[in-house]
Amino acid sequence: MADRATRDHTARGARRAAGELEAEVLAALWAADGPLTAAHVRRAVGGGLAYNTVQTILVRLYDKGLIGRVADGRRHEYFPVKGAEELAAEQMQALLSRGRNRQAVLQRFATSLSVEDARLLRAMLRRRP
Amino acid sequence: MTISVYVPAALSLLLAAISRIVVVRTAPTRAAAFVVAAMLCAAAATWGLVLLSATLLGATSLVADEALERGVQLQDPVPKLIGVTAVLLLILGAARVARVLRARRATTRELQAVCSSCGNGELAVVALDAPHAFAVPGHPGRILVTRGLLSVLDGDERRVVLAHERAHLRSRHHWLRAATEICAAVNPLLIPVREAVAFLVERSADEHAAAVTGSRELVARALTKAALASPAAGRVPLWPAALRFAGCAVSARVAALHSAPPRPEPLVPSGVLALGVATTIAAVQATIAFYQLIYWLWPT
Repeated sequence: MADRATRDHTARGARRAAGELEAEVLAALWAADGPLTAAHVRRAVGGGLAYNTVQTILVRLYDKGLIGRVADGRRHEYFPVKGAEELAAEQMQALLSRGRNRQAVLQRFATSLSVEDARLLRAMLRRRP
Repeated sequence: MTISVYVPAALSLLLAAISRIVVVRTAPTRAAAFVVAAMLCAAAATWGLVLLSATLLGATSLVADEALERGVQLQDPVPKLIGVTAVLLLILGAARVARVLRARRATTRELQAVCSSCGNGELAVVALDAPHAFAVPGHPGRILVTRGLLSVLDGDERRVVLAHERAHLRSRHHWLRAATEICAAVNPLLIPVREAVAFLVERSADEHAAAVTGSRELVARALTKAALASPAAGRVPLWPAALRFAGCAVSARVAALHSAPPRPEPLVPSGVLALGVATTIAAVQATIAFYQLIYWLWPT
């Protein structure tokens, strides 16, 4: 059962569209603490991507100006380009601090939890690692 | 005036009660049935209020003089108090709709502004520690996440977030939510239906993410991690009643992902739609009853 799930998972991973992969690679670079080599990106993205695929996506993101790179010996290390970072953060903070009417409009991935729900979720997480 | 003018309110209450009970067991793809039923209920209830307001016209000299001239005995179908209440409810409803529309437009615009400050790819990342992810409708729609959310998840879990938000964008869930928000603004009895639809579109996006990543367990894990990383976790909400549903939504979604995949069952959507049709019929009957009160006003 687990085997099948893993295999399905990998097969699906291989079929992911290029546009979707760009978002995944970019997300992995943002999640990292510092610049990553292509090999590290591949590991961080997960899902059994081919090294060449990762390399292609990185070049494409670089050409679009969404990521930057520094030379580290013969390899490149990639990092996300933080455009108007402070402006975006301020805008977002303002957005999140709006009143209840405005909050209701936001379609959130995960909402805040009550104490009891948090305990329930932690228990579930422990039960199914 | 017959009792039919009050039926939409009663059926709205029934629809709200049913939404509360069945929402967790409904297949998430059936959200549209709730939206249609809510729209029919809201429209019928509003029309009922318009008819009740119109009965006040019987007291105006315009109608009274005409009745006197033609020798018609004017009926007073509803107490004045109800007519006045109906007018007030209509005004309040209009104000609430205006507020909802304004809030939606302003929020969408602000989200789009944040996105355009973050480059022009599909994914926009904001350097904030609080974990958040939003689907931002637009042309094209974009996904807005904070670095805080990305850094608590691993690669597979990040893929869940992306697939979840893409499902919102692709299925245009913001329209379903906007429609029910307007319905609930017009007719506050429908607030539970709005919450049910909000929950169902989240469930729908969760199941879509599960189909894309091939693992419901994985989606449950990503959701749990994101919710637990939320800075508000553990804080007692200011408005317990209003936020209870939102608060329990994550655990209900996780629980749903841990149980068997949803099976589409035709009974719930057809029942919900039947309620919507019933309110429409009641509205038509009320209209006929109202017409019978005033038909003499038309020249023969």
